[in-house]
Order: sequence, then structure tokens, then C-alpha cells
Amino acid sequence: MREVLEIIGGIFILIGSIFLFLGALGIVRMPDVYNRLQAGTKATTLGGMSLILGVGLLEPDWIFKAIILVLFIGFSNPISSHALARAMYKRGRFPILGKGENMDAYREVYDKNKEEEVKS
Amino acid sequence: MKKVIVLLLLAAFGYYLAATFFYIDFGISHFTNGVRDYYLAHTVNGLSVANTVTSIVVSFRGFDTLGEVTVLFLAASALGSILYKRRHKYEERVVLFPSSRIVQAGSKLLFPAIILLGVYVFIHGHLSPGGGFQGGTIIATGFLLMLLAYQDYHVSHNILSIVESMAGILFVTFGLLGFIGGGTFLENFLPVGELGDLFSGGVVPIIYILVGFKVGAELTGVIYTVLNEKDI
Repeated sequence: MREVLEIIGGIFILIGSIFLFLGALGIVRMPDVYNRLQAGTKATTLGGMSLILGVGLLEPDWIFKAIILVLFIGFSNPISSHALARAMYKRGRFPILGKGENMDAYREVYDKNKEEEVKS
Repeated sequence: MKKVIVLLLLAAFGYYLAATFFYIDFGISHFTNGVRDYYLAHTVNGLSVANTVTSIVVSFRGFDTLGEVTVLFLAASALGSILYKRRHKYEERVVLFPSSRIVQAGSKLLFPAIILLGVYVFIHGHLSPGGGFQGGTIIATGFLLMLLAYQDYHVSHNILSIVESMAGILFVTFGLLGFIGGGTFLENFLPVGELGDLFSGGVVPIIYILVGFKVGAELTGVIYTVLNEKDI
């Protein structure tokens, strides 16, 4: 039982490390804030969760604390990067769009709010 | 003239600092008076506290901790008195735009978890890394999250000052009880229990819980005061 848990925990830790590495690589490689955020957030959420879960499986005494930590990361990481992205957009830094791409649905809401702000 | 005085003071200060370092011979262990060994031996055997740093901070050097807490209290009240005239009306907190619904709902979910983590850190201060100061700071970050998420979230200054004063008074009371029961200020007078249990270490966890309450209330007050400062 113990050996099986150790193998499964090791696999989880390996997956987590790979995703954390890819997230770090994405933060270096990506061109603008939003691409970096999505690389950083998605990869670190999955990476951190599976790393902590793997540690919890390796040490069965810590499994409850590990599950609580996983839940905490699952809540806090997406919310914080959502707040970051929203703050960047509100400060007027818009995502880079490629040639022929003009789909930025939030831009319309943003412009409308801006007009109302100017009027009032 | 002023500059000359400042230079002279700095020179005197530097001379005494350097003299202290020349007094200690290079490369020789100067902890030869046995304080280190006393602390290490009495932490586990005398107090049965697992965290040596906690036992030094709260028990052996408890009077210094009382001074630290007092300094923090003075800093918080000085900040409040300086910023008092520049304080906003309650509706005009300095935020550029209100938080989104995701942040508001999420902070409602995360706030109890953060408070629980802070309480956990200062209750286990004698067993694991961390303690009153760290736990209090974590609690203050929870309040900071709520203050940033909700523009109409308010902390009662009266409750904060009551918690703060009660914690301070109880700290001194336990110190004086140690004076009566043990002979010196902040001496342990309660049974110490088993090493590693939650209820062990005598008076150490009680003092650290009080420090946690005090630091949490003070830092929350500081954050609240600064967030309501008027932009000039």
C-alpha cells in the first residue's frame, strides 16, 4: 500500500514540476501581460495543486492539510490573476491582436463605460 | 552648523560601533558565557516548548517582546494621529474602480480561510515555525483583502482598540502573575505538560495568542487608516 502511494505521489510531483517549469518558461517567452498571465496562472494552478497533492500522498499524515491547500490554490490563484488582468485592462493596456483579428468583446463594454464617465 | 553636529554624532556612533567589533577577537566563538547552552537546554527540559525561537522570544526574553509590542502600538497610534485630519468620509475610500463580482464573491470565500490560517499559526506558535507576530499579520492581510474587495466594508475602530487594549492588559497581567508565582516578570507558573502537545509550554502559548490578537488588531487599524487617507 505504502509503495503504491509513493509511486502515485511521485508521478503527481513529476507532473506538477513539469507544469511549473512550463509556466515559468511561458512567463519568460510570452509577448504581453495577458499571455503571460494565462501561462502563469493555468500552469501554476495545475502544477501547484498536483505538487501539493503528491506530497500529501507521499506523507499520508498530511493529506488533509494538502487537500485544504489544493482547494485554497484552486480558489485564490484564478481570482488573483483575474483581478490583475482586469486592473491592467482598466489602466488601458489592451491585448495584442494578430492580423485580421478584431474580436475583443470586453473592449466595447470598456469604451461604453469610458464614454459615460466622460459625460458625467 | 547642523551638518557638523550630525557628522560629529555619526562619528561618535561609528567609533563606538567599531570599538565593539574590535573588542571581539576575530574567529573566536564569543558565546562562551553559556547563554546559548542555557536556552537550548531549558527550552525542551524546563518549558517543554518545541520551538526554541518562541521560547526565547516569549519566555526568556519576554520583557523585550513587551517592548516590541509597545513600539508597534505607538507606531500605529502615531500613524492614526498624523492621518486623522486627512481622513476621508466613509464613502470616499481611495480606490480607482470597484472590484468585480468575482473578486467580491471570492474574497467572501477566502476571508474565513485566511483568518483560520492566522489563528492556526499563532496557536501553534510554540510547536511550529511562526507565532504571534506572523499570525497577526496574516489576519491583517485577510482584512486587507476584504477592504480592497468591498468599498463599503468597515472595521469598527472601537472593537479594534478594545481587542488591542485587552490583549495588552492581559499580557502585563500574565507577566505580573509570573512575578507572584515564579519570582520574576513573565516567569512560567503553569504546568508545562508534554513536549509536542497543543496544551503545553505553560504560559508561552497564552502569551503568543495575546500577541497575535494585539498585532492583528494593530495592523488592521493601520491598513484601515491608510486606505481611508485623503489624496492631496
